Amino acid sequence: MLEVSGLTKVYGEGENAVHALSGVDFVVEKGEIVLIVGSSGSGKSTLLNMIGLLDRPTEGKILLDGTDTTVLSDGGISSFRNKKLGFIFQFSNLITDLTILENVMLPLQIGGGGSEESARDLLEAVGLTDQMHKRANKVSGGQAQRAAIARGLINRPSIVLADEPTGNLDSVTSEKIVELIKSMARKLGQTFVIVTHDRQHFGDVDRIITIKDGRAVEAMEVAA
Amino acid sequence: MEYRLQLAKRMLFNKKGSLIGAILAVTIGILVIHVNFVIFQGLYDAFVRDIGNYNTGDILISDKEDYIEKSDLSLVNWLIRIPEVDAATPRLSSQGKAEVTIGGRIIEKTRLPVVGVDPFWDVQASGVHETVSDGQYVFSRNTMVLGSAVAEDLGGAKVGESVKLILTDRWGIEQERRFTVSGVASSPGGQGFDFSAVVHIDTLRDMLSRQGTSDSIMVRLNDPAAAAPVRDFFIRSFPNDDFIAETVEEASEESLAGFRSGIALINLIGYFGMMSSAFAIVTIQMMLVNGKTREIGVMRSIGAKRRDILIVFIFQGMIIGAIGAGAGTAAGLGYTFYAKETRMSFNDSLELEVTYNWEKISQTALLSFALTIVASLYPSYRATKLLPVEAMRTV
Repeated sequence: MLEVSGLTKVYGEGENAVHALSGVDFVVEKGEIVLIVGSSGSGKSTLLNMIGLLDRPTEGKILLDGTDTTVLSDGGISSFRNKKLGFIFQFSNLITDLTILENVMLPLQIGGGGSEESARDLLEAVGLTDQMHKRANKVSGGQAQRAAIARGLINRPSIVLADEPTGNLDSVTSEKIVELIKSMARKLGQTFVIVTHDRQHFGDVDRIITIKDGRAVEAMEVAA
Repeated sequence: MEYRLQLAKRMLFNKKGSLIGAILAVTIGILVIHVNFVIFQGLYDAFVRDIGNYNTGDILISDKEDYIEKSDLSLVNWLIRIPEVDAATPRLSSQGKAEVTIGGRIIEKTRLPVVGVDPFWDVQASGVHETVSDGQYVFSRNTMVLGSAVAEDLGGAKVGESVKLILTDRWGIEQERRFTVSGVASSPGGQGFDFSAVVHIDTLRDMLSRQGTSDSIMVRLNDPAAAAPVRDFFIRSFPNDDFIAETVEEASEESLAGFRSGIALINLIGYFGMMSSAFAIVTIQMMLVNGKTREIGVMRSIGAKRRDILIVFIFQGMIIGAIGAGAGTAAGLGYTFYAKETRMSFNDSLELEVTYNWEKISQTALLSFALTIVASLYPSYRATKLLPVEAMRTV
């Protein structure tokens, strides 16, 4: 379970201070698909970076599975990111020097365990069995994003954070990626927090949190 | 394969230009040191070889006071009973004046070094006789070998001509004697007796009124590495005499000291070259790190620790160092092989003494490898300092 309370992020100091986030509170239950929406510059990506421990908040707490992540050391953050968090970025952000299979296996190897078998299974699930030995820069954008989804799921994280996962794809491919994320979420009981500027694209999700001027102004349950 | 090593290898081999540049930097650094070593150490060793061959042998025995009064025959016979000793020969030196009459004109050469040799033992203990390019070595009491420079100064004196040698004996009385030129000596690099006249040692003793004396005994060993123990053994065996026994390097210290300083300076330049290579590695590694900023961010976001990033780039340094050291050593050995096989010479005269100094070769390779890793430390450290959220903004 993810619990965000009083989350504040201020860039700069004094008169130049910019409040990217101001006291954001929400809770995400296990297995939920939650959309974070908002206009450009509203602070949604900043929020996702805080939850993903890629950036530190100025104030507030982020509890994931009962652990206060804001007090973790640098090494502790790395381990936490590896074991508890999965990431899907707007640009697939695969490592182009590695093959699709090696990219998916990378979180396992960084964590010091796991088998190639689980990576192959996931690649089969996202429909990339025949592409797995290709270099990451030799596949299409849609295929790269599928691989990124597999990489985000490989460690069976507590939560997968997706930042505009369809933002760089055409509408047809975007629909397929959305369907894939939703099907994987249902199949694995996986929690997803997805930042998007286009809520229509994702159709039915469990909840939608809207960020406006750095505040969570609306928390709407969509699905029963 | 360890994933960090695999990643380092892939990242490096996918940037072939940087990889080749980095390897070339290391290779050239090592090659410069090898070339310096082959040329300058080869030149030094060639000097030592020739000084030993013509002037001192592997050990030079002399007397603290002046001349060796002990019988040369008994000393040589004592010395050659030592298993490590191949041969020994007495020498006596002086300075005089030579005159030759060519076409009724007297041509004079003053301040001429004169060396007295024993024709029987000298050919066994020294290589001077091999430098006689025209005629033959001293073979009797009235024959003389002229150095090529002396022969030229004497109006191009040739084999068979008569040369008058004038010198002052121990009582200050001028002595003169006529010699027939038996040969003209010319050595590569002029290290032999090109500027001297060589006569029979007994004739020189007579002229100087120094019967039975020598000023040195040249000792040739079958294993030059045994010089120090044989030298010490000799000194211990004659505790009541004022003998000095020196290895070739000790005996030639004055002339070799300057040379050694020169070599040290040249080596220093070589090591500066290696340092420049290290700076090139720092630059190339920085470029590699900058080119992989996004990947570093991605790795950090999926859980890689700073240490993992550090190790990836240090592995890159190790790969560059290993390939560069291998290629540089191979190139250096290739050059050494070429120099040895073609009997490379300095100034087309003095043949370099080319050796494979494995200690130095492995030392250079290891130093270069270590230096490449050290040069990779700062760029690797910089890589660990990148914040994932910032790094991933790089496209």
